[in-house]
This record gives sequence, C-alpha cells and structure tokens, in this order.
Amino acid sequence: MRKKQGFISLVLALMLLMSACSEEASNTQEPASTDSDKPTASAAATAANTVGGGKMTDVGTPRNQTLIVDILSGKTADPDLVNPYVPGAVPMDAGFHQLIFSSLWEINTEKGEQIPDLAATFPEPLDNTNTKFKFKLQEGLAWSDGVEFTADDVVYTSDMIIKTKELGYSGYYASLVKSMKALDKYTIEVETVNPETRLAQKLGVVIWGTAFRVMPKHIWEKEDPTKFKFKDPVGLGPYTLKSRDPQGNWFLYEKRKDWQKSDIGKIVGEPGAQYILFKFFGPEEKRIIASIQHEMDILQDITPESWDVLRQKNKTALAWYENFPYADMNDPCERGMSFNASKAPYNNEDVRWAMALMTDIKNVSLATFGGMLRVSPIQLPPISVLQEKYHKPMVGWLKDFQLSDGYKPFDESYATDMVEMLKQQGIKGLPTDTKEAVNTFGVGWYKYDPAQAGKLLEKAGFKKQGDKWLKPDGTPWKVTINAPANFEVQSMRLAFAVADSWKKNGIDANVQQMDGATFWDSESTGAFEVGSYWPACGLLPDSTANFQGWHKQYIVDNGKQAPGNRNRWANDKVSSLIDELAGMQSSDPKVISHITEINKEFVKGMPFIPMFGTSKFVPVDTYYWTGFQTSKNAFEGPWWWWSQFKYYTPHFKPTGK
Amino acid sequence: MGFYKFLLSRAITFVLVVFIGITTVFFVPRFLPSDPVEAMIGRMTSKSAFMEPGAVESMRKTLNESFGLQGTIVQQYFGFIKRVVFTHDFGPSLANYPTPVNELIGRALPWTMGLLLISTLISWLIGNAIGLLSGFRKEKAYSKVLEAISIALYPIPYYIFALILIMLFAYIIPIFPLSANFMGKGFSWEHIKSLLVNSALPALSIILVGTGWWVISMKTLSSGIAEEDYVHFARLKGLKERKIMTKYVLPNAALPQVTMLALQLGSIFNGALITEYLFGYPGIGTLIFGAILQSDYNLIMGTITISIIAVAGATFIIDFLYPFLDPRVRYK
Repeated sequence: MRKKQGFISLVLALMLLMSACSEEASNTQEPASTDSDKPTASAAATAANTVGGGKMTDVGTPRNQTLIVDILSGKTADPDLVNPYVPGAVPMDAGFHQLIFSSLWEINTEKGEQIPDLAATFPEPLDNTNTKFKFKLQEGLAWSDGVEFTADDVVYTSDMIIKTKELGYSGYYASLVKSMKALDKYTIEVETVNPETRLAQKLGVVIWGTAFRVMPKHIWEKEDPTKFKFKDPVGLGPYTLKSRDPQGNWFLYEKRKDWQKSDIGKIVGEPGAQYILFKFFGPEEKRIIASIQHEMDILQDITPESWDVLRQKNKTALAWYENFPYADMNDPCERGMSFNASKAPYNNEDVRWAMALMTDIKNVSLATFGGMLRVSPIQLPPISVLQEKYHKPMVGWLKDFQLSDGYKPFDESYATDMVEMLKQQGIKGLPTDTKEAVNTFGVGWYKYDPAQAGKLLEKAGFKKQGDKWLKPDGTPWKVTINAPANFEVQSMRLAFAVADSWKKNGIDANVQQMDGATFWDSESTGAFEVGSYWPACGLLPDSTANFQGWHKQYIVDNGKQAPGNRNRWANDKVSSLIDELAGMQSSDPKVISHITEINKEFVKGMPFIPMFGTSKFVPVDTYYWTGFQTSKNAFEGPWWWWSQFKYYTPHFKPTGK
Repeated sequence: MGFYKFLLSRAITFVLVVFIGITTVFFVPRFLPSDPVEAMIGRMTSKSAFMEPGAVESMRKTLNESFGLQGTIVQQYFGFIKRVVFTHDFGPSLANYPTPVNELIGRALPWTMGLLLISTLISWLIGNAIGLLSGFRKEKAYSKVLEAISIALYPIPYYIFALILIMLFAYIIPIFPLSANFMGKGFSWEHIKSLLVNSALPALSIILVGTGWWVISMKTLSSGIAEEDYVHFARLKGLKERKIMTKYVLPNAALPQVTMLALQLGSIFNGALITEYLFGYPGIGTLIFGAILQSDYNLIMGTITISIIAVAGATFIIDFLYPFLDPRVRYK
C-alpha cells in the first residue's frame, strides 16, 4: 500500500512539474486588483480562520460570508478580457454586469417597467422632433476607485463608441445616437440620428442587459479601446473583482467599502454578502452534486429531472414555486415552431394552421417538461405582466376567431384540463380554482383536431395515402425541425415532442440537432423549413422593439443573412402597424391596441406556432443564505444571469451556519 | 548515402503531410454550415435589446473586417499560409476576439502536456510491464488475473470512467474536488497540493483505461515471441527466465509498442477533450471543444495545425529512429 502511495505521488509529482512550467500556473490566484491596501483572498481566509475558524471556500473566503453563484455561460477562455465592447470579452453574466457594470436604465421584471439606475430621470424631449433629449444623472456616485461619476463619463463612452468603428457595437450605436454632450456635471443632452421615441429602451435594459455600458473616462481615455483588456475593471456597481481563476472557471467579487457610492447602495441599500463567487462547476451532474453538498447557493437553468433529484437530496433547496410546477415561468422568450414562410408548402397559412392543429399540446407539454409549462396562443410570451396586458384581454377575440372555413380553433380549457391530467398522475399541490389554473398554465391554446387539420391540408392540395400525407406534387411529406443540440434544453425537447405529435398524424417529421453556431446561421440564412426557435420575446407592455424586425422590408432571399424577419413572412398590415408604432411614445394607449392588432395578424397567419413560455428551473440553496425571491416573495424575477442581479444583493442574509 | 536518401524521402513526406493537413484544416471549417460572425451576432441579439436590422448589418460588416474574413476564400487562404509559415501567427481567436490564438494555445498546452504526457507514459510503462509478464508467463495465475482486469478495463470509454470516478470520489466519498481549481503559485506547497489533488482523478481515468490497452497488445506480442525458436534455444542453453524475458522477448516485443507510444505522444496535442471538459481541466481539449461550438476558425486551425505537426513530427522521428532500433530495416 505504501509502495502504491509512493508511486502515485511520483506520478502526480511529475504531472506537477509539467504543469508548473506553465506561465499560467505561476499567475494562479493573483489578485485582480492593483490596490495593494486590499487584502488578498488568502489574507481574508487567514483572518476568517483567526476570527471564527468556520468553513472556507476553495478560493479562500469564509463560506458563511460568500454567496456562490453558478455561471450560466460556463468557462471562459480569456478571463482577463473584461472590456465589454470587444466581441470576445468574458461573458458579462459571469458576474460583471450583475455586480460591477451599470446601465443608465434598468428594468423591474415583476412590474414590467424600466427604472432609472445611473440616470436619475428618463429622456425628456427638448422639442417636437423627437431627436433631442436631455436626462439627469444620479448625484453622489463614485467609481470603485473613488473617482466621482459625472456626465463626462457618459459622454466619453458615447464618443468612444461612435469613433471606434472596430467595436462591434459601434455600427448600431452610430445609427442611433448622433451625439451626446454634458450640459452640466449631471445633465446630458442627446441628439439621435432619426426621430426616436424609445431612447431609454434602446440604451437601457429591457431584457438581459444592454450593450451600452458607461466606462470611466479617467481610465479609458488613456487606452486604445480596441485592445484594452480592462483586466482590473472599475465600475459603479456595488462590488469589485477581487480575484479570478486564470483558467476561467470562477470570478470572486468583494463588496465595495464605499458601497454607499454605488448605484445599488444609493437606490436599494447595503449588499448582504461580503463576497460573491461566480463559479462554473461543469456539466449539469456536477452542478447538482455541488448544490447537494451546499457548495453552490444559486443554480442557473437545470432540467426538471435534475430538480427532482435535488429536492430529494437537498432539503434546503428551494424552487420558484413551493409545489408543482416549481419552475419560474416568466422568462421573456416563448418557445414554439417557426416556419420559413418563403418555402413551399410552409408558404401556405392553411398548412401552418394544420400543423398547429396536429399538435397535441397537452402531451407535448408533458413530454417536454412534465407539464411544467405555461401555454401561449399569441406572439408574446405568457409572462405575468403580458398575460394581464394581452393574453387575458384577447381571450374573447381568440374564442371568436375563425379559420377561412369558419372553424373556431381556440380551446379555453387547457389550464383546467392540465390540472386534471396532472392530478391523475398523482401530482400534489396543483391549483385549485380556474383563475389560479389559468395563471399557472395559461389562458388556453388551440384544439388538437387532426380531422380539421386534414381538411385544411386537402384544401391545400395534400392527399392522404394510408396513414401518411403526400404533398400536392405526390411526394411523401417530410419535415425537418432544426433544434438546438447542446443548449436551450426546453427548445430541444419541444422539437422532439412536436415531431412525435406530427408523426402520429401522418407527417414524416425528424429533428435535426445543431450546435449553436450552425443553429443560428441556419435560421438567419433561411436554411430551415421548421425550427424550434424563439422569435417572440418581450417583457415590457410596449413590445414594439420585439416586433420591429418582422417588417416586410427586412425580408431577403434564402441563402442571404436576414437583417430581421428570419421567417420571411410578409404581412402588409403588420408592417404598417409597426411603422405607426415607431412614431408613438411608449405611454401612448394606442401602443397596446396596435400590438394587440399585430398579435391578431400573427394568429391568422401563424408564421410561428407559439407554444409555451419558457420555464426555468433556477433553484437556490438556503443552507448558508436566505433572502432569495420566490413566487411568494417576488421583488424581481430570478434571472441570476441578468444585470438586475445587483438589485437582489441587499436582500441576501447569512443564516449563520 | 542510402541513409541520407531515406531521411530526405521522409522529410519530404513530413512537409507534404503538414502542408496538406493545414490546407484541409483551413478549408473544412469554411464548408461547415455555420459562420462565426453570425454565431456572435446571434449570441448578442438573443440576449440583449433589439437592434435595428440595419444596425445588425453594420455590426456584421465590422465583425467581418475585424476577424479578417473579408476577401475571397483564396485570398484568405494565402494570407493564412503566409502568416502561419512566416510568422507562426494564427491570428486572433474569433470567439475571444482580440485575444491571439497563440496566447490561448500557450495557456492551455502545458496543462494538456502535464496531464496527458505523464498519464500516457505511466499507462505505457505499467501496461507493457503487465503485458510482458502475462504474455511470457501466461500459465501463472497472476497473469490470468491481470489479463482479465485489463480486458475488463479496456472497453470502458475513458469518459465513462471519468464519470464513475467523479461519482465515487467527489460525491459518495468526497475526497477530491468536484471541479478543478488550481491555487497558489509556481512551486509553492499550496500550488503543488492543488495540482496533485486536482489532477488525480482525470489522470486516473486516462491511466486505467490506457493501461488496459497496452496490457492486451503487449501480451499478444510477447506470448507470440515467447514461442519463437530462439527463445526455446535460449531456454535449452539454460539461461534464466528473467534474462530471457528482458533480453530476448522484451526488445522484440517493444518495437511496435514504441511506435505506438510515439504516435500517441504526438496525438496528445489534441487533448483529452471529454476528460478535460468533465473535470474542468484547462487544456487543449476544452479549447478545441469551445472553438468548434463557436465556429472559431482561427482557433480550430491553430489547435489542429499544432496537432498535425506533432503527429507528423512523431512519425518522422520514429522513421528516423527505427533503423537504429531494428537492424532489419536499417538502410533498406
């Protein structure tokens, strides 16, 4: 045994010699900050050991002072590249846009409205041309190196982006903003290239984050923005980067000593955790093990099966809902089947509708995520805010809506039917009244009616031979559904479930799984017939931005990269409504009615069969920390990978373990 | 003169293989149904606010210029060959722009070398030793047991082994960390300890499975050689079994094993993709995995070119050394 140990030691020592020769190894755990006064992670660990002797994290911080968060984007190849304006920067959701960088306007996902962050006010038009605006900045904020934040920083950032054509974002930004100037220390005047009624939406956060991130002038003006790594980022958020893994698996953040001068310190209060560690543990199995072992406090986007394992093995794990469906259903991009409407037979709306009616949506829901999905009949995700603004008000119209032959396809009973189906499966904790069932499972969907689908297909020239459909030219009808292979598990599973439903009804449907690059490329060049894509997003009641790309002017031939309208679906009424929306203020009541009309056109034409809002299993472990929001305590959606994460930080409190 | 002619022909083969290899590596990613610029735009637009289609077009143009993807494919090819041959520069990584590919490879290579070189050598040494014993003394009980273990280990894919090790030693008996985290600096004890602890499981997954393969192949070779006339003659002369095994059987059985070892050492530049991914090990395998997923042409070309040169180089060296190792092929 001793000999064996000696041998293994020898082997590993040799391994060590090889690896230690690496320059990287010699840089491991080097503190990111150049501030020599700040303690290193090791020093902090020593101090904690001296004080309490409690459990330490593997990066040397006291566990009971460290909140550990999963990194959704995974490992990063160059963890030193923090410049958010170069295309290959560290994914911002590794903690950078959640804790360090800040935006002019953020979003409250629960209320579905933008809120000022670095800005103190919203853009106020200076004349009636909608091209000149001014807005105020928050006073009393300071960069994490102590320098005061002023309008000069915002103006510098704007000028830098416009002047530096090499930055990927430059083209977009220059087409939006003509110039910015500081009227005083805290007031900015903006001139836009074209009339603009939604400037705060374009420069602020509406879903995940924003590309316009204000940078400190006093640091950036000395650098070449195209080459500057910004390795030691200085921001206006409540944390600073303390150290990082040179291999890109983790980033450790520490609360600013002057957190009162950060955006969150000023708007919300003191963050609860001294340290926040964003860490990538690897494949899902390892992430679940980490959570079971209380090594990770916040998990991002796991499968329902993993949640089943986790809740059985970790009694302190918590999901969004206490009972079924557990997952949060308010993610802003709904899933469904997207058609390339320029390719026959999918250029025929009767065919698209037939495929919708051949979809056994209840079974698809069960097969995709065990029924833990909220259904959507329209082109907007069924998140709570939009359910109230669009889904519920449109139920009357949907019930009356008729196909060309007078058939009424809408079925209001989806939610109550799902409750019954799930009850039969022994699921506990289901909604008990219709209203609650609708809030959980959605307002309804379209009937599963293969006979009616058959009528529509026959009208389009299809014929049935045995149990298979033949296309109008007599050839067998084969459909390939493009689906993501290694990401967006819900869309991938949805594709298989829908294919199964279609196969049962005589369509030879197959799923083609594709990696990320190929998947997106196929969509944009029109190299698909049907795809499990998600071209229907939105969080704000004014979802104009999410419809603009559907304008017919953006349709290009298949084979060319589409600048928008990747479904290549031309609809004159939709295009004209989009044109009208462009000139309205968000607060104009006509915005809601116009978007409702657009939704009606999408239902009639069905270029995308909307199916489900996205359910995300984003559990937390309450062993070391409390204060996480849930369905009962929802001050924000649990979008740990979004920039609003910083707003949650003052709510986290240690349990004392 | 014959030797120099032999060497020249092998050198020409080496250059041709490398040239054809890197040419293939240049063109193949470009025939894939994916585009790095589109992938990046898709990633950006799927997460951030809506961008006007005109602005997306403008971003596309900028990225194409930045990534050096403008011009015809022929122009791009000659530019690539010129850069690789004369400046050994693979350009910037497209997915990690503007970080140079050379920098990313430079960071990852020592880790892969450290893990795979040592694991491969260890499994080669252990496997050949066991294979020699079980082939030469096949009637012994221990030979049969060792052979049985090897046959059981060999067919298990190394990534399954890796998962089993993770479950066993990071979950059920949590004595090793779930994910690699290399602490400390240089030759400090903290760093040494961290390297030992974090490399143990990935190394073990490679060594155990690799050893099985070497045992089986060495056993086959040595048992055949043990039946040769000159081995019988040596026994009749009264030489000790140990001497027969080490001086008569081993040198002859080792030749093909040395060849295979050299080829395997050449291929370590590919990294142990799945092992590295599963254990969060920062090597070339992880880099290639990410590069392929993101259509990072330059990084794919950089990593695979190095691998091609390494395998072709290993073959060239073996060809060069073989005449010295085996008199039968000398000057043929």
